[in-house]
Amino acid sequence: MKKILIIEDDKLISSLVQFRLKKDGYETHLVADGNEGILAIDALIPDLIITDVMMPFRSGIEIIHHAKQSQPDTPIIVLSSLGEEEQVVLEAFNLGVADFVPKPFNPNELAIRVKRILK
Amino acid sequence: MAKSLCRIVISLLFFLPGFASALQDTIPEDSAGFRDFLVLQKEVPGLGARFFVAGTRTLDLNTPDSAYGFAQVDSGYLSPIYIDFLQAAELEGLLLSDSVPYRLDYMVLSEPASAAAAREFVAGRIRSGDYLVKTGPEDEVEDLVALASNTRYAPVEKFRLKFVSDYRLFGVTLTIVFFFLVAIIMITSMLIMKAGKNKRENLQKEYSRLIVDPLTTLLFEKDLGEIQAMDQSELDSFFPKNLMAKPLYQHELIDSIIGLNKKMKGDFKEKLKALYKKLGLDKLSVKMLHHKNWDMATMALVQINEMDLVEALPEVKKFTNSKNFHVRSMAVSTLLNLSEKVDLVFLRDQTYPLSHWQQMNYLRIIRFVSPQKDLKLGILFDSKNRSIRLFGIKLVRILGRVDMIEKLSALAGGVSDEEKIEILETYAALGAYMESAFVNECLRSENPSLSLAAAKAAAVVGDAESAEILLELVQSETVFRNKLAYLKGLYGLDAARFAEFTSSDSHPELQDIRDHILDPMLQNV
Amino acid sequence: MYSFLFFLILEIFGLLFLVLSFSVIVFYFILMALSGLEMRDFLRKNRFADYGDIITSPIAPGVSILAPAFNEGQSIVQNAQSLLSLHYGKFEVILINDGSKDDTLEKLIRSFELEKTNYVYHPEIETKPVRGIYRSKNMSYRRLTVIDKENGGKADALNTGINIASLELLACIDVDCILSSESISRMVRPFMEETNKKVIAVGGVIGIANNCDVQDGTVTKYRIPETTLGRFQVIEYFRAFLMGRMAWARINGLMLISGAFGFFRKDLVRAVGGYFPKTVGEDMELVVRMRRYMDEQKIPHKVGFVPDPLCWTEVPESEKVLSRQRNRWMRGTIETLQLHQVLRLNPKFGILGMVSYPFWSIFEKAAPIIETAGILYTTILLIVGDFSTIYFVALLLMMYLLSLLVSSFSVLYEQIAFNHYKDKKDLRKLIWMIITEPFIVHPKVVYWGLLGHIDFVKGKGGWGSMIRTGFKKAEDKKNLQEQTTT
Repeated sequence: MKKILIIEDDKLISSLVQFRLKKDGYETHLVADGNEGILAIDALIPDLIITDVMMPFRSGIEIIHHAKQSQPDTPIIVLSSLGEEEQVVLEAFNLGVADFVPKPFNPNELAIRVKRILK
Repeated sequence: MAKSLCRIVISLLFFLPGFASALQDTIPEDSAGFRDFLVLQKEVPGLGARFFVAGTRTLDLNTPDSAYGFAQVDSGYLSPIYIDFLQAAELEGLLLSDSVPYRLDYMVLSEPASAAAAREFVAGRIRSGDYLVKTGPEDEVEDLVALASNTRYAPVEKFRLKFVSDYRLFGVTLTIVFFFLVAIIMITSMLIMKAGKNKRENLQKEYSRLIVDPLTTLLFEKDLGEIQAMDQSELDSFFPKNLMAKPLYQHELIDSIIGLNKKMKGDFKEKLKALYKKLGLDKLSVKMLHHKNWDMATMALVQINEMDLVEALPEVKKFTNSKNFHVRSMAVSTLLNLSEKVDLVFLRDQTYPLSHWQQMNYLRIIRFVSPQKDLKLGILFDSKNRSIRLFGIKLVRILGRVDMIEKLSALAGGVSDEEKIEILETYAALGAYMESAFVNECLRSENPSLSLAAAKAAAVVGDAESAEILLELVQSETVFRNKLAYLKGLYGLDAARFAEFTSSDSHPELQDIRDHILDPMLQNV
Repeated sequence: MYSFLFFLILEIFGLLFLVLSFSVIVFYFILMALSGLEMRDFLRKNRFADYGDIITSPIAPGVSILAPAFNEGQSIVQNAQSLLSLHYGKFEVILINDGSKDDTLEKLIRSFELEKTNYVYHPEIETKPVRGIYRSKNMSYRRLTVIDKENGGKADALNTGINIASLELLACIDVDCILSSESISRMVRPFMEETNKKVIAVGGVIGIANNCDVQDGTVTKYRIPETTLGRFQVIEYFRAFLMGRMAWARINGLMLISGAFGFFRKDLVRAVGGYFPKTVGEDMELVVRMRRYMDEQKIPHKVGFVPDPLCWTEVPESEKVLSRQRNRWMRGTIETLQLHQVLRLNPKFGILGMVSYPFWSIFEKAAPIIETAGILYTTILLIVGDFSTIYFVALLLMMYLLSLLVSSFSVLYEQIAFNHYKDKKDLRKLIWMIITEPFIVHPKVVYWGLLGHIDFVKGKGGWGSMIRTGFKKAEDKKNLQEQTTT
């Protein structure tokens, strides 16, 4: 079973995503802030990371930096918040994220993207 | 203040020495007379008396219940020192009646002394004015003179306490009491608030945890039709009745649904809206509109706006003229966003000046809805509120409504200078060449800011006449900044005329201005 | 005889101190209540605020950022870069090189590909001569203008910038300040919310950056400073900004906007003639003069305040530098109050004249003198052995408790509103600071304030007569040049 780490501070969003991904048969782990996110990346060694950008303690960009250093092959999907700056999007892509899903988003669509990346 | 000053003056008067000199020879020479004299005085500060009874007596002079209260010493019994001679006399009478032999010792400043020495001490005191002799029996009425001279012996603070300290004492006590009262009230209310907040926050956390699962399952397991067809018992199985009765739970549910709605796309949005109504939360939102706190009312408006509660719009309309800035801003935003046909009448009739903040918010919505809805901007020009008219003109410019130029042109003649400036900017932005006559009229205005705005507009939509006027203005203008602006206008309008004017003229200032205007690095400064 | 004169004086003083301490207590309670209310409203308001819009909206006003620099060669390029990367639509950055003796200008020219322009500098406000105005052909630096001028002090440098600024609002900042990227959009909001009252200026909070981690123009990790003086200033800044200024903003009585971070309406600043270079308290003086001008013109107005943490600065932690700063602040206050004596208890100037001015005169300007006298008074009472001493000692003790209360509440406000110092250890250290501050730091501050008074009386600066006579009207500063030269 593939492991997916979801780093998102909005409990509802993360549990929606988790619910949807569980249905597709993935093992999912939730963490709610950047600090935990970085710990979880090292502890779990997930097959995919889904992360928010605006979060308490550490920004998504920092998490991407960390993940790319410790596990360069793990694909990352970025869930961006409303009205995110162009700059952030560019920076994220520069760091080599696999996909970028702007909010508002559709969890079904996200599930399809996950499936495509993990194939 | 005056009162205490008076007191001090009085005390000063009584401190003048010499009062007692005439009285010093009133002290009797003989010992019995001296004793009577002392009894009459009752007390002379510094002077005391002590009785001594020699030998061991059968009489219990030192037992606690004895009237004497003598202390036993090696050679006999010693009485306490009496400073009240009346008491001393009483004791002496007692000793006499019990026929106890005794010796009377005078005590000068706590040292035993002979009667003569005691007499000399009293006389000295009287001479120096430190003691005032009483000549008759004790007068019940407070004797000011005696009191004043008394105080000389008392340590300073006693004097201060009696005369002056009272108001300070009162004031200080009052201040202290006040301080502690307010401090305690503040601290306890803070603690109560904090406790309440903590409790609420914990409950909120608990509720939002309880909400996550049912909401997630509902959104994935049911489609839109199924949600709409759900009956009460089915709803209760997701959101239990006992919890739904709690306002805080409702509040959390509303927040969760709205939060999700913002971040979700597609059919999820529809499902959330259907659920919102199904749970009767829309009625809560409408009810909250009338909350006495503005932030709750604004919150209700946000909810109505987010969940598309169109049926609440008539209610919302009532708030467009609310005296609270945020409530009326949000009400207008909601109306703009949700109305089928955007009728701007409510905006026209607003009496409060429209701030830029509100303009910005309305503009965002109007921009968003204007492709779908027919906006009758002209209505705004009829407003009695100048800020609304100004906003109307700005909208024409920002939305690029070239079709409104005609309307503006009809309006332009009879409006304030501020609106004229806005119209000029709009003409320039939309390239309204046919309005150059208006530009020229404004160029000649006495109001420098209008004239300057016209110069800016002339650079884009001016004509040959504008160039002439600008040249005139440059020559008559004394303020440097304005001169520069007029020349900039001329340069934009007719670069050839500008070059001709600035080069033929030998005035170095003009040359400088020309260099400034032509400098490519200063183009957008 | 003498002893009674002595007692008379003691008595008068006693009464005065009683009234004073009572009013101090009442005033501070009112301030606490007002700032509490303002904080509550601010937090409520922020729930509905969407600042994202301001950056792109055509309705938002343009902002000219003015940053004077003197011998900043070390950090100027980095500072300029962070200013240029602020998130806002319409803004320009004007750096004023105030005759630096180091390579400030050269570094700027090299890093930003600057070239001298043909700008005709024709000042409305008299300033020291300008040597050149530089801009870059590189479009990424299109927002930057650098002025090179002869040295004339901070106020003069700002005035040069004011002459050149092309946008509606002025943001006067210290070049070494750390600004949050959204600082412009937040500070612009009160101007945009203006309805009935003209918003003439907006002040912001200054945070203390000592010992904190800074990343991309924002403080990412807060730590309290290592030194006592640094920690003291953390508490002091909380008190001043979260309590004092919030309360004054609520009743529209703000007299001071920090010189390190203040926004002004340009046309108005020009109308009153810009900063007054002859005072050391130019920031306070400008605000007071602008308010006075508006009152003289009978235009309803207000000075706004934004409590969001947007600007951070390194505060001096050495006693020497801090004492000079406090000395200067005190002189600035005295000078401003002197220049605008007309305001004193003048109902024509509303809250400003009836409340702010007297408050500043007593609680800011005269505070060091009063406090010293108070201590002397109590000591004398103790020596004389006056019975009421204990009450005055109690009063002193209460002042101490009041200071504890005020400080704790301001820390509490910070915790409620922003909660920056998350480490429990830091909080404990702050509390210890609150308890000990009145004994170990406060006396020094009082002493420095007294030195400020002494320096003022000595006439440090050499323009004493001007200050002593004051301005007859707010606009008079404009005509100053003629007055002083003739």
